[in-house]
Order: sequence, then C-alpha cells, then structure tokens
Amino acid sequence: MKIDRSRKPEPSGELQFKMPSFESFKLNNGTNVYFIKKDVLPIFRINVIANAGSKFDPEDKKGLANLLAMCIDEGAGEFDALELSEQFDLLGAHFSVFANGDTLQITVQALIENFGKAVELLAKVLKEPKLNEEDFEREKRKVLTRLQQLQDEPDFLANTAFEKFLLGDKNPYSAPSIGITDNIQKINNENIVEFYKKQINPENIFIVIVGSISTGELKDKLNKQFEDWTTAYKPEAFSLSEQEDKKVIYVVDKKDSVQTEIRVGHHTTGRKEDDYFTKLLLNTVLGGQFSSRINLNLREKHGYTYGAGSGFYYLKDTAYFEVSTSVGIENTVNALKEIFYELENIRKGVTEKELAFAKSSIVKKFPLNFETYMQVASNFISKIIFDLPDSYFDTYIQNINAVTIEQVNEAAQKYILPGAATTVLVGDKEKIKEQLTTSDFGEIVFTELKL
Amino acid sequence: MNILDLKYEKYKLGNGLEVILHQNNSVPLVAVNIWYKVGSSAEVKGKTGIAHLFEHMMFQGSEHVPKEMHFRYIQEAGGTLNGSTSTDRTNYYEKLPADSLELALWLESDRMGFFLPALTQEKLDNQKDVVKNERLERYENQPYGLAWELLVTNIYPEGHPYSWPTIGFLNDIAGYTMDDVKSFFKTYYAPNNATLVVAGDFETEKTKLLIEKYFGEISEGKPIPAIKTETPDLPEVKTIVHKDNVQLDRIYLAWPSDKVFSKDDAPLDVLSDILTGSKNSRLYKSMVFEKEIAQDVSAFQYSGKLGGHFTIVATAKPGVSLDDLKSEILNEIENVSSSGISDKELTRSKNGIKSSFVFSLQNLEHLADHMNLYNFYLNEPNSFSFDLNRYNKVSGEDIVNSVNRYLKKPYVDLRIIPARETDEN
Repeated sequence: MKIDRSRKPEPSGELQFKMPSFESFKLNNGTNVYFIKKDVLPIFRINVIANAGSKFDPEDKKGLANLLAMCIDEGAGEFDALELSEQFDLLGAHFSVFANGDTLQITVQALIENFGKAVELLAKVLKEPKLNEEDFEREKRKVLTRLQQLQDEPDFLANTAFEKFLLGDKNPYSAPSIGITDNIQKINNENIVEFYKKQINPENIFIVIVGSISTGELKDKLNKQFEDWTTAYKPEAFSLSEQEDKKVIYVVDKKDSVQTEIRVGHHTTGRKEDDYFTKLLLNTVLGGQFSSRINLNLREKHGYTYGAGSGFYYLKDTAYFEVSTSVGIENTVNALKEIFYELENIRKGVTEKELAFAKSSIVKKFPLNFETYMQVASNFISKIIFDLPDSYFDTYIQNINAVTIEQVNEAAQKYILPGAATTVLVGDKEKIKEQLTTSDFGEIVFTELKL
Repeated sequence: MNILDLKYEKYKLGNGLEVILHQNNSVPLVAVNIWYKVGSSAEVKGKTGIAHLFEHMMFQGSEHVPKEMHFRYIQEAGGTLNGSTSTDRTNYYEKLPADSLELALWLESDRMGFFLPALTQEKLDNQKDVVKNERLERYENQPYGLAWELLVTNIYPEGHPYSWPTIGFLNDIAGYTMDDVKSFFKTYYAPNNATLVVAGDFETEKTKLLIEKYFGEISEGKPIPAIKTETPDLPEVKTIVHKDNVQLDRIYLAWPSDKVFSKDDAPLDVLSDILTGSKNSRLYKSMVFEKEIAQDVSAFQYSGKLGGHFTIVATAKPGVSLDDLKSEILNEIENVSSSGISDKELTRSKNGIKSSFVFSLQNLEHLADHMNLYNFYLNEPNSFSFDLNRYNKVSGEDIVNSVNRYLKKPYVDLRIIPARETDEN
C-alpha cells in the first residue's frame, strides 16, 4: 500500500513531564546540601562545589586553583596518593576533580551500595588532604609539561587568546584556569596549603547529590562525616568593573596550521538578567544549533567548515557572546565575511517561523536535559551558582513561551554587536596576512600567545 | 544483576528489515537507532572514505524532506540526532519526546527508501568540502592527529579492509562522483541490510503498525556477500618515524590482536586497564607517577568484526628518549607474561567495569545503540549481562595467555616527533 509521505507526522499531544523535585538542608557544620532523588538505577552522584575557581588566583600566581585541584586527591587522612586512588578504584567509583573559572569541583559517582564508603573517602579529601611537598612538585612538573603541549592545540589557543584579549588583563577570568607558565613556576606548596585553607571550608562549599537514597539516611551519613569539620572563612564578594568592547582583530601565529581557528565576540549582560530567555531564543536562531543560521551558511551553503556556532557564555561575574568555528586556511577571510554578515543581518530581525522553531525546540527538549544523573546534577549546580530562584525549572517553559518577537528583535539590536566585536584568528600568519587586506574587521594586530 | 536484563521483541518485515523493540517507560523519551551493515571495511584501496561521506549525504534530505529539514524537524520536536561511521557499520540515531516517534520513523524511512530523487551534484560538492574540513579539523590540524591512520596502514596488510582510516584520504574523497554515491546507496542502503531499534516509552502494537507503514513499502535489495579476511602476523617489527607540529615525542606500540567478542578480546581489555587505567595501574604508576619519564600513558584494545589491535601510547617528558619509554613498556609486558596478574589488580579492574556497565544504562540512546551492537556482533540484543560476564570471567591466566599469544610477536613502533627542533632552554 502506498502512503502519503509528503505530510510530516505531528506529535500526538502534550507529554507529561515531572521535573525532579529537590530538597535542600544545612549540615550541622553549616554546609548547604541539595538533594535530588532519582530512583531509576542503583547509583548516586555526589558533587562538591567549592567557591574556589581560578578567578581567585592571585595576580602573579595564575594556575593556583588548578594546582590545588590536581593536588587535593594526592593522599588524604591515613592514605597516601596511591592508596587513596586504590580505595576509590576498589569501590568501582568514578572520582574526579577540576577547577574552572568560578569553582573547584569534586565528583564521585558509584553504585549505591558503596555510598557510605564513598562519602567517607570524599570527606577525607575535603577535610584532611595531605598536600605534601613531594606530590606538589610532581603535579607542578606535570602541569608545566601540559602547558607546553597545549601550544600545539589550536582550539585551546583560540579560546585562550579570545578570553585574554576580550576580557583584558585586569579581569581575573582572562587567564586560562590551567594557569600561565611563568606564574606556575613561582607557586610553592605553601601557596597551595594556604589557598586550600582559605577557600575549601564548610561554608564556602555546597554539595549536590542525585541518587536513590532516603533523605534521613543521607543526612545521617553526611553529618557523621562532616560534623567535625567546622573551620569557616568567607572570602570577600567578587565584583568586576564595566568593560569596554573594541573592534580589533588579533592574528595569533601558529605556523604550518592547515586551518584557521576563528572566534568573534564581545561582552554581554549577566546570567541573572530577565532577558536571559530572550537571548537564548535569539541565539538559537543565530548559532545555537546545527540548523541555525551561522552553521547553515558556513557549513551547509559554503562548505567552509565542519561546524560553526555561537552562544552567550555566562560565568558568575562575567559574560560574553562568542561565534566559534575553524575553517580551511584559504577561506579565513571568506568565513569572517559570512560571520559578520550574519551578525549584521540578525540585527534586522528574525522571522515568526524562526522564533516558533526556536521555542518549540527548547521547550520540547527540556525533558531530555534531565535524563542522566550528571545532567540533573549539573542543571542544579548552575541554578545554585547563578543564584536562580527555586521555581526556576518549574517556570522555565512558561518563560520561554512568553518571549515575543518584538523582544527578540530588540535583543538582537542590543546584544549582537558586530561593530564592537573582538576577533581572534589562530593560524599561519603569512597565509592569513595575504587575505586580510581590509580593516573591515577592525584594527589588525599580529601577535603571539605565550602560555 | 537483573537491571542488565533488557527485554525485547525482534522480528523482520517482508523486505528483510530487522526490527528490535525495547520498552522502557522510566522517562517519556524514545530512541530510534538504525545500523546499516556497511562501514569503511566495504571500501577498497584508492576509494576510501565513501561510507563516511555517504553518512553525511544521508542528512542532506530525501524525496519528501528538503535539505536541512531532516535536522530541523528533529530539533523542532525537541530531539537530538546524529550518525557515525566505523569500520564495520554506519549508524543513525535520534532521541525524542515519546510522542514524536512517528516523525523519526518517517524521516528514517524516507532516506532509506527515497534518498536518490533528492540527490544533487551541489549537495555532494558541498559535503565533500565539509568532510575535507572535518578531516583538516579533526586529524591534520590536531597534534598527533595522523597517528591512527599511520597505525592502521601499517598494522594491517595492504588492501586489508581495516588498512585505511574511516574518514578516508583527501584525494579519494575529492574524486567521488554522483555515480559512486548512487551505486553505494543501491548496494548497501537496503532494508535487508539494516536493523532498526526502537527503545523507550511507546505502545508496542501501535509502533509495529507505524514501522510497517513507513518501512514496509521499501524494496528489498540484493544480498550482500560477507567480507572475509584474515589479519596475519607482522613479519617483523615495523618502525615508523613521523614529524608533526608537536612539542613532545610520543611512541605508539601496536600489535595485531583478536577480533571483537573473540577469546582474547576481553582479557586484553582488562589488561589495558591493569596497565594504564588508573594511578595504580602498572605503567602509569612507574612511568608517570614514580619515574616521571612520561607525561601520559594509555593502552586500549581496538577490535572489530575483521580484526583488532592492542596499542600502548606514551608521551615522553621533555628530554626523555622514546627508547627509554619503549623498554619500560616491553619490560612490563614481559613481567606480566612471567609473573602474572594479582587478584587485587583483577578486582580493581572488574569493579570499575561493573560500575561502568550500570552507569551506561542511564542514557537511552546508548542503550538502543548497544542493543544494535550486540545484535550485529552476537545476534542477541540482550547481551548486557553476557558482556559484563565476559569481563568477570577473565582470570590472571587468561591475560597471561593473551599476552603470550599476541604481545610477544612483531609490532608497529610508531614515533611522532617534533618537526622543528625546539630550543632546549
């Protein structure tokens, strides 16, 4: 039997999706805990988030928070570095630590039958890390070698150069979290111990747990492990002065590259502003998805790239808009022209159809954002870091649907600023130079990046 | 462990399309996952990369779906989608809110049955450019990015179906014509060469009717003869030195090994974890932690339907010679062979593997893809327990036997070194 294929099947109706609910409570020592019960599988995920990111690195010691993240699990309590690692491995637990601009995060995921033991180990890492000289020196050598290797990685170079030039040296987010070579050389183990004491304490961290466990049991186990940990120090609040945008193009030489990494962008307003949802929809039309304008133009129309996109990126105290792609070196300027065309063009407005598509996509995708334990945890972590209201997830869909086309078009004028965009190109300087014959993209600065 | 027991129903349509249904109502989502039994192993020397290029073309629309709309429709419905190509198969997958299942079936069936009328030279030229850029971005412009193709071209004999990279060589990709693409489609993209998995929240009877409705009318293709090949031992150690834009020397030692799900596959997987999977693993502990002669070290067993290889990779700390890394690695292999594996090492690895199996069930897409994987290699979609058990059963003796069988034979010694001498201060 022949069927009519020309008609796209429509969804059968509204789906019922119940947002996972969360509970929050304080441990006896003052630590805030957020618990999301999820019973699908016999596993749990626990995240400790410390207000101890690389933005707290002293001006001449960029890389301190990251080095603490590398050292904090090199032994704790009665266990040396290898023994501690062995303890987690024997539980079959996935354990990891990292630092980004805002936070230092420690994560354990394991089978629920190992919850008690895992929490006990985690508490040791937080309360009594060894922070030995010998381990520190080894980790320091490791990170210095890593920085040497990162000189080879074009996307890292582009991201680092973009944040450096856009944010400016006064902004503590402008240095990469991993640090800078000549700064790291100056860091000693006392700096690490001091940073740990100052930043990692019960009132400067919070804990997010997702898993199939009862609240009572959870409280008991956490209190038992953390009760005796009471040192408290609240670091001063963080504030940044307003920053200016200038239309400049930085060409970072990476000899013999076969592609150019491109970044274009400028500052934007913070995560807590009311027009967050408007900007999200605007960017979904512009560059947030495969079928957004920027990718359709650069990839599907011109074949300049494997992929291109844009986004508003939010840190706790800084935010920026960024377009990102990498293109065959011969198309560097062709691609830049198309990027600037799209930025100018969206300022003329989006269509009703595009907005309807963006809304539909975001609203209907919402349940997919809560599928894995990691997704649930990271959604709640963002909510807490950015201090969003408790009703945030419950009103999310409503907030998206309420945005009007007038608001989106107004936002396009206000928040997409090609006239003040910083551009970074990482590639072979000589080959870029011969193409870059106009100052259409701003003042041209040839430079190198020292990691 | 009964959470690893995933019930399913398997049947075939009249045109040979194999269907596997697995119900899971824990979240209102549905995953659709199709495996076409064709990958880069179906290619020949001089004509590489067409399986992967073809995967790109499948996203360029079909008779009833304009270019770009395949992506757009799925994203509009709140879904995610992609595809990937390996040596053995090409997969396409979507994950959507449960009430948009029909949309995915419509799209997948349209490109399975009605791809050719929408194919144009313009689309092909565009995707050849995109794939060229993919190759530049992911391989040529990445440090050590050509390692994989240098390995496979040397481990496998000339003409072996695994002896080229899946993405293909630039010259081959540039040469493809409309006729190549058409004939590839006609040969391999027939319902009888595919398996459709639907997993998640759906009604079985209704779904069966929808699958029949959309896929039933597509004609069956000619049977495709299985590829048969053997991977011989290397006659002698092959040393390759390749210069790249890198700061640090890196060595790859790679031995031809066993096929996927064959006898030595799981023991070699466990061995890779015992050698490099954690801080206490043998090579990590000695080379990275204690002696600090390497910045990193890793090992893996890659295995497919037609062959496999076991590889150990280590990056030298500045000033350390690759010969030193190599002798450290070969000594440890000798050590495994002569002194075996401790119970503690086995327990540590097995506990990690067990957790990983349970963690992997969180994602419906992964689950659907694995049902297809197990069906493809083992003819049994519900093989999660079997697979975990394969690892649980590995003994120290099994590992020693695998080492003796494969890792004492000639291997490829690939060294990637800086193209330009860097200043040593």
